[in-house]
Amino acid sequence: MSERRETLSGSTWDVEQLLTDALRPIEPPQRLSARFEDTMAAVTQAAAEELSDWAEELSESELRALRDPRNWVRPVVAVGAGGAATGALLLLELRRRGRQRSQGGLRALASGLRSRL
Amino acid sequence: MSGPEENVEPAELAPAAKAELDRAFEDFYRAHLRDVYSYAYYRVGNHHDAEDLTEQAFLQAYRHFDRARRESDGRPLRPWVIRIAHNLASNYYRDRSRRPQTPLENADPIVARHDTEAIAEGREELRQVMAHLDGLPEDRREALIMRFALGMDNREIARALGRSDGATKVLIHRAIKQLQEEMSDERAA
Repeated sequence: MSERRETLSGSTWDVEQLLTDALRPIEPPQRLSARFEDTMAAVTQAAAEELSDWAEELSESELRALRDPRNWVRPVVAVGAGGAATGALLLLELRRRGRQRSQGGLRALASGLRSRL
Repeated sequence: MSGPEENVEPAELAPAAKAELDRAFEDFYRAHLRDVYSYAYYRVGNHHDAEDLTEQAFLQAYRHFDRARRESDGRPLRPWVIRIAHNLASNYYRDRSRRPQTPLENADPIVARHDTEAIAEGREELRQVMAHLDGLPEDRREALIMRFALGMDNREIARALGRSDGATKVLIHRAIKQLQEEMSDERAA
């Protein structure tokens, strides 16, 4: 609880103590990591589809044009975006599996109860 | 080898380097998730938007993580990721023309005295300080959130806000003084 200090102008607030009490760290919800994982998956999927659609649309003249290095920017960017998302997805997947392992006992118990009801 | 100014996308790294980068990013994510989320929450005032902001901050951080590590020269990366969240929060308000909502749902006082009157009084004090915090100019509010919610020191806050250490010290001092004067005036009135 904060204290008030007496000054010539009357009582004043111990604002630093009040701020310490009011601005406590907030624990993120557990669903946030799973949600981050889903977002990375969506980004990966979108990048893959973009690359696939783009490849299917290529005509013979476009294929010839692709041999010109000046036209390599788009595929490199698409591959880069997809690869980056995939990398993050991998590490999050590892964490998710870790979570699943730790939750396995509870899930088995819940499943057992359901089968009995 | 890449120069310090060049950002290399994680997918462009050699497999061993990328695996090391991913492990480092996972540690980084675990170490700073609460700080980024707390910062986002106190900026936007609700859990839904705080989750959006936190997610976007880490997505951006991942893309530039390799370069940030190279350029940090061993210094902590917390100011960097908080700065990403800070920029995203500024865009959030600019795009949606919104003001932060005062987050009171977590403003439960730490109870030192146990009588009901003292608890009620403490809650009222916290509501007042949060309301006045909400009315501060953005840079002052930012600095106080970083100091008190995240426990950042002046140097870290200076790096996150892109200011000098001296200017940051003055900013925090003035922010506290403004809050103190406004609350005292309110009490006197």
